[in-house]
Amino acid sequence: MECRGRGFSRKAALIFLVSISLGILTVSCDSPKRDAKAKTVVVYVSEDQVFSEPILKDFEKGTGIRVKAVYDTEETKGTGVMNRLIAEKDNPQADVYWANEPIRAEVLKQKGISVPYVSPNAKGIPEIFKDPKGYWTGFSARARVFVVHKGFKPKPRSIRAYVDPRFRGKTVIANPLFGTTTTHIAALFTLWGEDRAKAFMEAMKLNKVKLSTSNGESADLVASGEFVFGLVDSDDAANRIRQGRPIEIVYPDQGENGIGCLIVPNAVMLIKGAPHPDNGKKLIDFLLSKETERKLAIAACAQIPLHSAVETPSEVKRIEQIKAMAISYAKVARKLQEIQPFLKQWVGY
Amino acid sequence: MAKRVILFLAVFILIIVGFLPLVVMLVRSIMVEGHVSLAAYRELLNSGREWRLLGHSFALSFLTAMFATLVGLPLGILFGRTDMPFRRLFPVLFTFPLLIPPYVTAVSWVSLLGRDGFLSRTLTPDAAKVVSAWLFGLPGCVMVLFSAFLPIIILLTMAYLKTIDPSVEEAGRLVFGWPQVLMKITLPLLLPGILFATLLVFLLTLGEYGVPSFLRYHVFAVESFTQFSAFYDFNAATAAATPLLGVTFFALVLERFFLHEKTLHIEPGPGSKYALVIRLGAMGKWFAALTGLLCLLVVVLPFLVLLLRSLSINVYKEAFLRAGDSLLRSILYAAIGASALIILGFFLGYLVQTRAFRFWRAIDSLTIFLFALSGAVMGIGLISLWNRPITNFVYGTPIIIILGYLARYIVIPHRVTVSILGQIPPSMEEAAKVAGASWLQRVGLVVIPLAKRGLVAGWLISYIFCLRDMGITMLVYPPGHDTFPVRIFTLMANGSPELIAALCVLMAGITLVPLGVGGMLYKLKGISLTRIG
Repeated sequence: MECRGRGFSRKAALIFLVSISLGILTVSCDSPKRDAKAKTVVVYVSEDQVFSEPILKDFEKGTGIRVKAVYDTEETKGTGVMNRLIAEKDNPQADVYWANEPIRAEVLKQKGISVPYVSPNAKGIPEIFKDPKGYWTGFSARARVFVVHKGFKPKPRSIRAYVDPRFRGKTVIANPLFGTTTTHIAALFTLWGEDRAKAFMEAMKLNKVKLSTSNGESADLVASGEFVFGLVDSDDAANRIRQGRPIEIVYPDQGENGIGCLIVPNAVMLIKGAPHPDNGKKLIDFLLSKETERKLAIAACAQIPLHSAVETPSEVKRIEQIKAMAISYAKVARKLQEIQPFLKQWVGY
Repeated sequence: MAKRVILFLAVFILIIVGFLPLVVMLVRSIMVEGHVSLAAYRELLNSGREWRLLGHSFALSFLTAMFATLVGLPLGILFGRTDMPFRRLFPVLFTFPLLIPPYVTAVSWVSLLGRDGFLSRTLTPDAAKVVSAWLFGLPGCVMVLFSAFLPIIILLTMAYLKTIDPSVEEAGRLVFGWPQVLMKITLPLLLPGILFATLLVFLLTLGEYGVPSFLRYHVFAVESFTQFSAFYDFNAATAAATPLLGVTFFALVLERFFLHEKTLHIEPGPGSKYALVIRLGAMGKWFAALTGLLCLLVVVLPFLVLLLRSLSINVYKEAFLRAGDSLLRSILYAAIGASALIILGFFLGYLVQTRAFRFWRAIDSLTIFLFALSGAVMGIGLISLWNRPITNFVYGTPIIIILGYLARYIVIPHRVTVSILGQIPPSMEEAAKVAGASWLQRVGLVVIPLAKRGLVAGWLISYIFCLRDMGITMLVYPPGHDTFPVRIFTLMANGSPELIAALCVLMAGITLVPLGVGGMLYKLKGISLTRIG
C-alpha cells in the first residue's frame, strides 16, 4: 500500500520517532551515575533562590563546575529539601545541603545523612556557629528581630512583650510550625524549660497574637500599620526598610539580664554517599569564604557576616554588636522535634 | 497478533506510569516498619482540622463549578448558536486563562487587588485591606479558578451544541420561540454534557494546589502537598490524599453510570453545519458588550496589569538570566511529553473506540481518574515507586517528569483520538483489510493519515498541559531540571513583583506561541478545541 498526498509519509513518521528517541536519550543520559565523575555538583538549597542562585552561578564561573540545584519554595519553609534528603538517604542524589538555618542541618546530622568536613575557610567563624566535629558550618546569619511600626511607643524590648497586656491584639508572629519561628520557639524551650515556655505560649495566645503565614507577611502587616510589632528575620526587616516602608528594627533582650537575640546562620554540610564529594567540598569552601559572606551582606537579603572585617549593610548590626542568645543548636534541634505535637496543637492543626 | 501486542503494551505502560504509583503509595501508607498499621488514617479521621479542610475543598470546588456553569453555559450558547458580534474571538480570549498555570492568574489578580496592587493604591487603606482580605481567601480562590476553568464549560457547551440534531430544534421552532426551544429542547439535550463539564471543573478544582496555596486558603490538596513536601511524611500525606482519591473515584463512578455513553462522543452530529442560528438582532450588540465587559474583567485586566508591572527591558533581561535555562527545558520536556502522550494516547484511544478489549471502559475511566487527581498525589505516588537505587535512571533523571506527564495528561490525546476516530468511517479500515493490509499498515497508512489533523491538535493541547504543569513537577524534578513554572514558584520567595510579573508574561508567551504557529500552519480547518472537547 502507498500513502500519497496529504497523509503521513513514512519519512515524517520516522523523523517524529527519531526526534522523540533523541529527546528521551537527551534527558535520560543525564543520569547521576553517568555524570558521577563529571564536573558537576548537586546542591539542595533552602535559602531563597533569588539570593542563593547568583552565588552558585559565581561558583560555576569561577570553577567551571556545573551546579545542579533543587530549591525550596516559600510554602515548604526550608523543610522541603531537608525532607527530600531524608527520603533519599538510601539513594543520595545531593552532594551539599545549603540550609538557611543550622537546626535542619543538626536534624540531618542526627539522622546520619551528613558526613564531617572541616573547611579551611571555616577558620574565623565563631565556634558557636559551627558543629564541633564539622558536620555543618554556619555562615552569613540573620538575626531574629522585632519590626516595629515607625514612631510607635512604647517599643517592645523583650520577647515577653508578646504577653504584655499593653500590646493585646496588636502583635503578629509567623506560624510557629514552619521556618525560623519554629527554631525560635524551640530555643525558648531549651532556655526556659518546658513549663515556662508552654506557659509563655499559652499567654501569648490569650494576649491575642495574630498568626501570619510567613515572616515576610508579618513585616508587611506591621509596615501597613495593622499590627504594632512582629518577630521576623533581619533580612525581612532590612528588605522593607530598603523599600522605604515605615518600620524600625529592635534587637530583643539586649539588656544585661536579657536572654539575647537569636542568631540564625545559614549552614552548609556534605552529604553522606554524595555522588561528587570532591566538588561538594569545593562548593562548601566557596560558600564559607569571606567573599560569599560579603555578597550575601550587600544583597537584598542583608545577611550578617560571621567572619570579622567583612562589609556589613547599614540596616543591620555587625555580629560583634549583638548580644546573641546563648544556645546549643544541637539541643534546639532535638527540642524542635520534641515540641512538634505541642506546636501543632497550639496552632490548631 | 501485532494489534493485540501493541494495545496490550499501551495498557501495560498506562498501568506502570499511572496505576502502579498509586497502588505503591497506598500500600506504603499502611506499612509501618514492616507491619500493617492504619495509624495515619486513624489520625486523619480523628482530626477535626482534616474535616474542616475537606469542607473548604468542597466549598471551593462547588462554588467554582457552580459559577463557571452559570456563566459558561449561556456564553457557550451565545458563541455556538447565535449571530452575536465577535462570537469567534471571545472563545479564544476566554480560553487564555486555561492555557497558563492557574497560579499565574492568581499572581495577576494580586498585582491588581493585593495590598500593593494597582487598584488598591487608588482605595482608602481600610478599603484596600478589605479587598486584599477578600482576595486572600475563599472568594479570591473562587474568582481565580472560575476564570481559569470557565473556558472548559464554554468550549464543551459549544462542542455538545454541535452534537444536537438540528431537525429537533427546527421542529421545536415551528411551534415555539427560541427561549422555549432552548429551555425545553436544547438544554435538556445538553444536560449530560453540561453535567460532565461541571463535574470536570469540580474535580479539577478539588485537586488544585497552586492557587489555594498562593492565596493562603487551606484546602485538602494543599494539606496533602504540605504533609509531603514540608514534613515528607509519606503516610500522613497519603492519608490526606485518600479523601481526594475517594471523592474523585466516586464522582467518576457517577459519571460512568449516568453520563458516560452520552458524553463520550462529541463529534458533530449529522447536519450540524446547518444548525439553526439564533438571530439576536439589535440585542446582539448588548450581549457582545456585556460579554466584552466580563472578558475585560476576568481576562484582559489582570494580564494587562502583569504587562504593565513588567514593562521594562531590564526586568525581562533579568527574567531571562534567572530562568532562561528552565524555560528552554520546559519547552523540551513538554515537547517530549506531548509526543510520548500522543503515541500512547492514540493506541489507548484506538482501543477504546474499537472496544478492542473487554476492559475498554476501565481504561477510559482510569485516564479520567488520573487527570482529575491532584498533581501532588500523583507526584507522591511516583516518588514512592521510583525512589530506589535500582531505578535511579528514572528517579534521578527527567524521565520521572515525563512519566508524570504521561500519567496525568493521557486523557487528552486518548479522548482526542476517540473523538477523531469516531469521525472516520470504519469502512476505510475495512477496505484496507480486504486489500490485504496488515493491522500496522492499516493504522499507519489509513487511520493515522486520516486522523492527522486531530492528532496534531491533540499534540498541541498535550504540549500546553505539560508546559503548565506544576503539581507533579514541583515534587519530582531532579536536581538541575526544574521547569519554568516551578522556577517561577521558587523565585516567588522574595523575588521582586516586577520579576515575577515578567516571568508570568513569558510563561503566557511560550504557551501561546505554539498555539499561534499551529493555528497559522493549519488555519485550524475543521479542528478546534471545541471540536475536540
